[in-house]
Amino acid sequence: MGKQVLFWPELFKETDKGLVLVANKCKKCGAVSFPKNELCVFCLGEEMEEVELSRKGILYSYTITRVPVDKWTAPHAIGQISIPENQLRIVAPLIMEDENDTFNIGDELEMEIAKYWDDGDNEVMGYKYRPVKKKGGK
Amino acid sequence: MREVVVLGIGQTTFGKTPEYTAIQLGVKAAKAAIKDAGIDPRELQVCYGSRVYDATQTIEDIMKNLGVTEREMHNCENACASGGTAFNLLYKDIANGVYDIGIVVGCESMTTCSKAGQLVGAAPGDLNGTMGITMPANHALTAHRMMATRGITLEDIAYPSVKNHRHGILNPYAQYRKVLTTEQVLNARMISDPITTLMCCPVSDGAAAAILCTKEYARKHTTRFIKVAASKVLTASYLPWDLDTVTRPTLTKLAYMAYEAAGIGPEGLDLIELHDAFSPEELYTYEALGLCKVGECLSFIRSGNAEIGGKHPVNPSGGLLSLGHPLGASGVRVVCEVTQHLRGEAGERQVQGAKTGMAEMVGGYLTGLGSPAVGSITILSA
Repeated sequence: MGKQVLFWPELFKETDKGLVLVANKCKKCGAVSFPKNELCVFCLGEEMEEVELSRKGILYSYTITRVPVDKWTAPHAIGQISIPENQLRIVAPLIMEDENDTFNIGDELEMEIAKYWDDGDNEVMGYKYRPVKKKGGK
Repeated sequence: MREVVVLGIGQTTFGKTPEYTAIQLGVKAAKAAIKDAGIDPRELQVCYGSRVYDATQTIEDIMKNLGVTEREMHNCENACASGGTAFNLLYKDIANGVYDIGIVVGCESMTTCSKAGQLVGAAPGDLNGTMGITMPANHALTAHRMMATRGITLEDIAYPSVKNHRHGILNPYAQYRKVLTTEQVLNARMISDPITTLMCCPVSDGAAAAILCTKEYARKHTTRFIKVAASKVLTASYLPWDLDTVTRPTLTKLAYMAYEAAGIGPEGLDLIELHDAFSPEELYTYEALGLCKVGECLSFIRSGNAEIGGKHPVNPSGGLLSLGHPLGASGVRVVCEVTQHLRGEAGERQVQGAKTGMAEMVGGYLTGLGSPAVGSITILSA
């Protein structure tokens, strides 16, 4: 039995809440860089502080690719996810309940650590987002 | 800056021709351009090549077959905009007085390259690319935003593919010369929701070439001058986190740089050849280029403006959707297409009385930058 390894480990940080995504925030202009960059690409400031990204996001847009892409099997859902708390928009895989599942722009999402693909005996893990089901909703 | 004119053009038929190498296709296109220009190939002073996949010494290999050696030669890669970028480099050499005449040749064999059979993706190792952002997925994300924010339906998203195939029937260089209905486009196999396979440009091989020279040089060969009124290239900027991604700020900036240089605004364009790798892309490109106001692409298409015979015919060639998209070739091919119309030599697909035209090509995807990652725009006038 293999072990679980993280996709791009430098994107993550272990906290008492579990694994979170981390970014760099420029001390001068406040712009957030994800993935981290040593230099603030917006103002060229060199003093950066690490910030943890909120697990909560809003679905800005999505697509479901129906053919295999590289290591991903089909269907493979990806979204553009706005994280208003960190003033950031990122791209990440979305979790589908089944092959017929779909998404709605504006869906509230929550990040979780889930399997990306197998690499030999190892399971490669990364970040994915799952719609938060509203009470009484669909 | 000196005035630059298009002296010769040439291209292959676009289609699946694995029996030819990219170099052999490039030789055919270059030969056709040299014949069209009516010059001895050894007159060419500088040569540019454009190719994306498996490229090494592309232009040297092409030109050695045509008796042209011992020259300054360069090869250019800039994703789908490679051909437009190589054209721009040649244009600047001539405009700035470095050389008087030169050739640009774009070629690609998508059926035999190392990426054959795969969806075109982001740069290798790019974060979002690794997570499954391919070119169709990238445009599918924007298509869903258009549907959510502009009342655009799936039928509207299929429209550029239906229209461009209608145009492609008239183009002997096109790979697919058949009518597609909206239903056929919508019911085709889903690639990246809502983009179906018939909303994607097909896999294609092909090459195109253009010979540029000064007006003085051209006088020796012709009295008919197709002038390069502007040629510009621009890469994307970093994105504000809350940008409306349906807008294309860098493409708009690039277009207005070209309009200013040419002294011709969007209202003055008689035809436009643009990057329609995926059907919805053409819709937001109308807005980005200023062919209509932001948010008004629907009324633009419903008025028939983008059709041959309309106010601003878009992709009279049939576009990438009918021809296919050999990445390194397309940016040169659109210049050849516009030139044919301005000469009045575009046959059945001719835009009547065309005096000005735009050749646009964009490409690339990089995490953190706006999409497209790079664009090239040329404005030609008769």
